[in-house]
Amino acid sequence: MASDDHHIPNGSTTTPPDIQFEFAHHDPAIARINNGSFGSCPSSVISAQQDWQLKWLQQPDDFYFNTLKPSILKARLIIRDLINADHVEEISIVDNATTAAAIVLQHVTWSFLSSQFQPGDAAIILHYAYGAIKKSLQAYVARAGGQIIEVKLPFPVNSDEEIIQEFGKALELGRMNGRKIRLALIDHITSMPSVVIPVKELVKMCREEDVDQIFVDGAHAIGCVDIDVKDIGADYYTSNLHKWFFCPPAVAFLHCKKSDILNQLHHPVVSHEYGNGLAIESSWIGTRDYSAQLVVPEVMDFVNRFDGGIDGIKKRNHEKVVEMAIMLAKAWGTHLGVPPQMCSSMAMVGLPACLGIFSHSDGLKLRAYLRDCFKVEVPIYYREPEKGEHTPITGYARISHQVYNTVEDYYKFRDAVNKLFNDGVTCAFLSD
Amino acid sequence: MEDPQANGDHNHNHIPKKLKLSSPSSFISDSEIRQEFAHHQLGIARINNGSFGSCPASIIAAQKQWQLRFLQQPDDFFFNHLQNGILRSRTLITSLINADHVDEVSIVDNATTAAAIVLQHVGWAFAEGRFQKGDAVVMLHCAFQAVKKSIEAYVTRAGGSVIVVQLPFPVHSDQEIIAEFRKGLAMGKAHGRKVRLAIIDHITSMPCVVIPVRELVQICREEGVEQVFVDAAHAIGSVHVDVKEIGADFYVSNLHKWFFCPPSVAFLYCRKSPIALDLHHPVVSHEYGNGLAIESAWIGTRDYSSQLVVPDVLDFVNRFEGGIAGIRKRNHDAVVRMGELLARAWGTHLGSPPEMCPSMAMVGLPSSLRISSDDDALKLRTHLRDHFEVEVPIYYQALKDGEIGGDNWDGRVAGYARISHQVYNTVDDYLKLRDAINQLVKDGVTCNNLP
Repeated sequence: MASDDHHIPNGSTTTPPDIQFEFAHHDPAIARINNGSFGSCPSSVISAQQDWQLKWLQQPDDFYFNTLKPSILKARLIIRDLINADHVEEISIVDNATTAAAIVLQHVTWSFLSSQFQPGDAAIILHYAYGAIKKSLQAYVARAGGQIIEVKLPFPVNSDEEIIQEFGKALELGRMNGRKIRLALIDHITSMPSVVIPVKELVKMCREEDVDQIFVDGAHAIGCVDIDVKDIGADYYTSNLHKWFFCPPAVAFLHCKKSDILNQLHHPVVSHEYGNGLAIESSWIGTRDYSAQLVVPEVMDFVNRFDGGIDGIKKRNHEKVVEMAIMLAKAWGTHLGVPPQMCSSMAMVGLPACLGIFSHSDGLKLRAYLRDCFKVEVPIYYREPEKGEHTPITGYARISHQVYNTVEDYYKFRDAVNKLFNDGVTCAFLSD
Repeated sequence: MEDPQANGDHNHNHIPKKLKLSSPSSFISDSEIRQEFAHHQLGIARINNGSFGSCPASIIAAQKQWQLRFLQQPDDFFFNHLQNGILRSRTLITSLINADHVDEVSIVDNATTAAAIVLQHVGWAFAEGRFQKGDAVVMLHCAFQAVKKSIEAYVTRAGGSVIVVQLPFPVHSDQEIIAEFRKGLAMGKAHGRKVRLAIIDHITSMPCVVIPVRELVQICREEGVEQVFVDAAHAIGSVHVDVKEIGADFYVSNLHKWFFCPPSVAFLYCRKSPIALDLHHPVVSHEYGNGLAIESAWIGTRDYSSQLVVPDVLDFVNRFEGGIAGIRKRNHDAVVRMGELLARAWGTHLGSPPEMCPSMAMVGLPSSLRISSDDDALKLRTHLRDHFEVEVPIYYQALKDGEIGGDNWDGRVAGYARISHQVYNTVDDYLKLRDAINQLVKDGVTCNNLP
């Protein structure tokens, strides 16, 4: 599709993007340190998306018959190379990780209903699995007779070993009484609290313990950490391209390792292409705006204008977010919830205990207060204290760093919390 | 007769409102209409509004405003604006379709998604023993292909059986359809099969006919069909929609076809009942268990902007004389006129009488074209697009049992063009199609020898 418009005459093909220009649509008054939740999209990609949308509106029939499918295929080929998959058939494009979960879990439902799985067979998930995924497990697995086992992970966490240990215990529990573990659902980067999980090791453990299938929810991963699906070795892997990979909402890939089961996966919104393979089914689920799926080439152009491409972006985001997290922890006298090597482009920074964050809704109240009164956008995580902890840190801010962030964003946050601290404000005083 | 929409609450980001339904001088002018659709590709006779709909420039602009608000500060948008915007749209739709309560109205991407919701529910009923293996679902022979596949995926797979009711085409009256449906349903129920769900189109897609849904729903009730799902993908903005009068349990229509919304947005009406509480969106997210409408309002991070411009669309249609009712009437009158013009020019006929045409009409194509398969129809459509710059879908009418076919093509109309009329169409669009077909006939072209 459209290539880079910024060729300079002397033969060099890229100029670094003008970050100010590319993210000029971001509300300038806000310290936007929450790229993790909803991602971000540069102007040049938005503009490319609008070109695609216009093409559809101009002559939708022609677009449908002649343009849509080859353009989706182009995006899938790029993604295949990005994640080191073997075949493009293994790559389906869907709206988001939530949809990918519905696809995989609906297949689990059918396996229970057709007696391939027995009532009581288990699915294992991390306790910190994303809320929507847990609901999907209720809707598709528990409802069909499956048992859900949650792996409680420590937080704060200090090393991969702590996670590996807890996971091992859960696998044992899952296999007690001759139960079979049919599915392990493992986050690559948990959402709240945000921790990079040693997925490769956990997948290996699952294989050793004869877990049927492994689904890695890498919603945050692409553009944030390295993804090599062959190396990770799961059966299914999903990630959202609109979080850290500069795509507009919404586009995600679901990688399904080639196997007999691949033919049995279906998109839940059934249309004309039913039975033609998940990737083909997903490329037409009724009349919709598919433009977000079509700008992947333009996004590649964008990231390749940065020094080191997407790898350079990942590295700098990580270094910066750790630097800012350490700065904040120092300023507040707290700590990081996760060591630097387990941070991605996000970090968990402890908030001063005197803010009195005693519940999940306190976290929400504080977040809204920071947004409304201090123009700082950052999600707050509530951590239930252990018995016997003395003035524990129960609140953590999940700070993100993306290419548009500046150090001023984090100073603004630092100063906001310091003000709350100095004014003796606690969550109890904040209105609902 | 629906009343012109009151100007309810809506967002402040749209273009200045014009006066509604007051004096003729404030109605949208022809040149303004041309401007609103200036993005349509020049030179194409676009007589297929039925497939993918159309969206005026002022709505696209309103949509971009919503998209921008998300991009500017997505967290604030998510926490403070999105749900209100969706509720506003749902509320407007509720009164548009004469539903009792906004809780009955969910917004989804399209009719295809709505079918998945209803049919997945049927699948669970089989799986959980509420329905017995062999219990049946009824569908029309000409149901939309995506819906047929959804029945395969969720009903057949779960052990349900399918009763297919053949409807006549060409058709001459509602009575023909009612009689055929009654017969087909009774036959299907033979051997004491329980019929759990009937799926009935309000306006069939190919061939396109307005179905007497109210009567068919009544027949379903009389014949003990448990639930009725009306697939009215084309209906809103095209025919009068009153869900209470129609009396179905579920009713879906796409707002991006004939109601000027951008792709894509549809409503699924579910009459209040215990069953409605057990419907779920297949993409399960945080709101699972809070009711279909709330579930559908958040299915993960996505662009919901097309669902938020319904208030702006009402502003738009109210710039026309008679509002959406006026648009429907004029579209219908024009498409019938054009259909008759074409039938006269080609020596053929309409596939249904005018009163069974919505804003679309099936016009018989000259038999000399020898359309003898679905492939032929597609080839002809492509040829018209590529060589004559005419966009119109072609329907292949297979021979009925007992009809003698073979090489006897004299006067046999085996193909129909489904022409649409929307506010942006002009007479020239149809003259272009007329001349294209006349040219093909003159040149002795058949589907067999299309380049």
